[in-house]
Amino acid sequence: MMQFNLSLSAADLILLLPEIFLTIWLCVILALDFSLKRITHQQLGHLSIAGLAITAIMLLVFDQNGTTGALFKDMYVLDHMAIFFKIIIVGATALVLFMSIDYVQEFRFFKGEYYFMVLMSAIGMMFMASSNDLLSVFVTLEFSTFGFYVLVAYLRDDQRSSEAGLKFFILGVFAAGLLAYGISLVYGETGTLVFSEMAGAQGSYGLAIGFILIFAALGFKIGAVPFHAWIPDTYQGAPTPVTAFLSLAPKAAALAILLRMFFVALASFKPMWVLLFVVASIFSMTYGNIVAIAQKNIKRLLAYSGIAQIGNIMIGLAAGTKQGGDAIMFYLLTYMFANLGAFAVVIAVSQVIKSDEIEDYNGLNRRSPFLAAAMLLFLLSLAGVPPLAGFIGKIYLFIAAMNQELYTLLIVGLINIVISMYYYLIVVKKMYINEPTDTSPIPTSLPIKVAVYTGIAGTLLLGIYPGPFIDWAIDATLMFSNIVGPTASLPILPGG
Amino acid sequence: MGEYSLLIILFAPFLGAIALIFIPRQEELMVRMTAAISAGISLLASFYIFFAYDPAKGGFQFVQRFAWSEELGIAFYVGVDGIGGPLVFASAILLFAGIFVSWHIKDRTKEFYIFLLILAAATIGVFMSLDLFFLYFFYEMSVLPMYLLLGVWGSHTKGYLSMTDPEGLKLRDSVDFIFNFGSNSKEYAAMKLTLFLSAGAVMALMGILLIYHMSGLHTFDILVLREQAKFTDTMSNIIWFLIFIGFASIAPIWPLHSWSPVGHAAAPAATSMLHAGVLMKLGHFSIIRVAFEILPEATHKWMWVAAVLCIGSIIYGGLVSYFAKDTKYVIGYSSSSHMGYIFLGMAALSYISLSGAVIYMFAHALATSMLFAMAGWVYDQTHSRDIPSLGGLSEKMPFIAGAFIVGCMASIGMPGTINFVAEIMIIVGSWEKYPFQVLVAILGIVLTMAYMFKMMRGLFYGKLDPEFAHTSDAKNWIDRMPLILLIACSIILGLFPGHFYDVVSSTVEPMIDRINQVAPLVTQNTQGLLP
Repeated sequence: MMQFNLSLSAADLILLLPEIFLTIWLCVILALDFSLKRITHQQLGHLSIAGLAITAIMLLVFDQNGTTGALFKDMYVLDHMAIFFKIIIVGATALVLFMSIDYVQEFRFFKGEYYFMVLMSAIGMMFMASSNDLLSVFVTLEFSTFGFYVLVAYLRDDQRSSEAGLKFFILGVFAAGLLAYGISLVYGETGTLVFSEMAGAQGSYGLAIGFILIFAALGFKIGAVPFHAWIPDTYQGAPTPVTAFLSLAPKAAALAILLRMFFVALASFKPMWVLLFVVASIFSMTYGNIVAIAQKNIKRLLAYSGIAQIGNIMIGLAAGTKQGGDAIMFYLLTYMFANLGAFAVVIAVSQVIKSDEIEDYNGLNRRSPFLAAAMLLFLLSLAGVPPLAGFIGKIYLFIAAMNQELYTLLIVGLINIVISMYYYLIVVKKMYINEPTDTSPIPTSLPIKVAVYTGIAGTLLLGIYPGPFIDWAIDATLMFSNIVGPTASLPILPGG
Repeated sequence: MGEYSLLIILFAPFLGAIALIFIPRQEELMVRMTAAISAGISLLASFYIFFAYDPAKGGFQFVQRFAWSEELGIAFYVGVDGIGGPLVFASAILLFAGIFVSWHIKDRTKEFYIFLLILAAATIGVFMSLDLFFLYFFYEMSVLPMYLLLGVWGSHTKGYLSMTDPEGLKLRDSVDFIFNFGSNSKEYAAMKLTLFLSAGAVMALMGILLIYHMSGLHTFDILVLREQAKFTDTMSNIIWFLIFIGFASIAPIWPLHSWSPVGHAAAPAATSMLHAGVLMKLGHFSIIRVAFEILPEATHKWMWVAAVLCIGSIIYGGLVSYFAKDTKYVIGYSSSSHMGYIFLGMAALSYISLSGAVIYMFAHALATSMLFAMAGWVYDQTHSRDIPSLGGLSEKMPFIAGAFIVGCMASIGMPGTINFVAEIMIIVGSWEKYPFQVLVAILGIVLTMAYMFKMMRGLFYGKLDPEFAHTSDAKNWIDRMPLILLIACSIILGLFPGHFYDVVSSTVEPMIDRINQVAPLVTQNTQGLLP
């Protein structure tokens, strides 16, 4: 039986400070929304962003000072990797809030609660990045998803949004069921829930099935094929800032768990899960890219491109080395700027033209050279064109895979670059080459501009001068530097 | 100052592009001047490196190295040798000329110059990269601006080859039907070009990553790899083919050429100039830089493939040019045909032939960009590129007609132009190893004469259609300057190729020695053939 020691010292509490602070902050925001009649939702948005900024500063200070440690019998760890992922989550949330401020204006009800929900999900995901055993994985995953169930269906008069919410909810609950079942199997086989204690476990069918179920549940979160079915409809139906949020933050949090689970707990079964990731990666990339070609709606296009991008990220998981982990984390940074930037442009455009159809992007360059140029940069970064961030991210992943000699995966990945180039360029073609039917200019509000400029700056900086960020990722995953080699074998894999 | 000249050449256009972002779009003159000034700085610095390169010392000069990512073994490492230097010079000339050729572009001038500068700077970047990562980085970076330049400022082609019989019945729209599916929109051309080149690029990337990993060195440094990389036979063959096919598709060698004339024909004049002038040479250059330097054994073993395929390039390109009716299409296919000479020179692997190939890259860049510039002028004036419907334009545009004739002569390889020097070197240098291909090349020259004369006659002689009575010549210095610059470079270097030859051979000779040392087969007795 596990004994929990819940008495916390002040030194321990420091490790939880970002989450505690953000929790108090969001309670304050909710209270202000209820009590102060005069406060506008824009002000609430700015307050939320301020809270996130303070949290980010705290995390950066922790990173600098090396404030790390574990709490609650290793259920919660704050190491450099957790801090890295938390910064990504906080940064993504802040960018999403910048995009939301104007969008929230269109909601008929619950404008203030929107910020509460977003921040609550963010806190849940921050806990996810720190969770170090299966129990906390389950609790934090559900906690973070809870906010999303509400957020996806926020446009309650919109049929699409309600449909998206329902789809997301049903599949999310299903995934939760799989997760719980997987956890129970793993616990039954190993007698422990903490990742680091599982490292020496003996292989058995029960363990294998348990982990495959857990992988499936996390696969739902990151939207890897074959667990991607909810993605396109949910992305299309959800309010666009929520889609942007959904396209990045939960994926980052789930990847933190995947990294911990496979690189630490399952290090000894590496040959088996490498195969799993290779297959999942190949299918995600190919499926995502090929289906994206046929899309007419920009949100759906970005949804499928997101599936393909997760396939790219899984190249790093398949490599199964520290370098693979570093590559994933660097790629996530590049993906954050490019993807959120693209969604910011989508929001900016849709606020004026009230449409998300790619057809309506015709001649965007004439209507708003700024938005068109920004979208061009973001899409090309997603496609992996130098000198943009996505290119370095892809090369990093490919180098990690090459060092493990995963040739099939590499070849598929490289072919997919060409396929993805096609549909990104289709959007570019609409924006630059086609002539607009309506030539009125598209104005951009300040908060969205902030989000777009941040995206541009990040995309260019990470592409031209990635050194410090690569080093940051390398330092964050020092714990993987001695990944245990394959020692145990599962009975299903002949010869180990 | 001198040692930083490569950085100046590379970053002047980039900084120009960045500066353009902040210039309001109404200030069109300022936009053009900014572009011209940044290209001018680049041209002056490249002029300097071309003449300051010391052939006696050889090797890589003006080297600059900055750490970029220790973890991945990447450094920002630039330098030029006798092959990169002239090509950097050619790129800078073409960029400068191209900016003046496109002086009259009205639609979205600012964006046009931004993309043009990025395209040229990326091309220049490839020619000076001594790090495989950056070579690929700039290579891939040069592809994307092409998409927009073609798609936005390009023009639809009017059918590739409307081959009609005397009764006016259409026999067949295109010899290229199988590859082109009869589509002649600029969007199609742009997309085809981009996807083709990206596909080639990722193939080459696979080769580069294999070099990175299989050499066991985990570095992208070309000089380190050249000295230390050792591969097993199978692996070096695989890598060689990945590199060769990947880069030859931009060159473009015969069965992989179909994107190029389509792209040329659709592109605006300045883009065609850069594209045919230097972008296509990225392929040859990268093969020399990567395959010749790092994989000498495989190069020696497999370079005959290029010698076989170049027959297809020369003959097919020449024949299509002869039958084509669209000016840009003729020039585009003639480029594709002339690329065959470069491959022949490279395949023969002798001092003279490889030097000839390098000089030909430079010479062809000047000649073909002249022709594209003038085809662009004719198109701007007449809004037609259909040779049969034009004619007698020399009455209206004597300067253009004169310059066009010089361009055609250069393209044919008339003595006095640098093309002559290059062609004769390729032919002499390859005779020993590939006599049949040399005969094909000579036939190719005859074909070139045929279609060039045909095009000249079609455009400038005969009766002037009254429809074109309003057309005008290039009158002011802005319009004439780029043509004069290109012609002057071609003729001056053609008359005095000494320094150029020294520069090229100082790099080519050790390279050929390395390749042939591995398995000495070809005797070198062609020394002293040139002054």
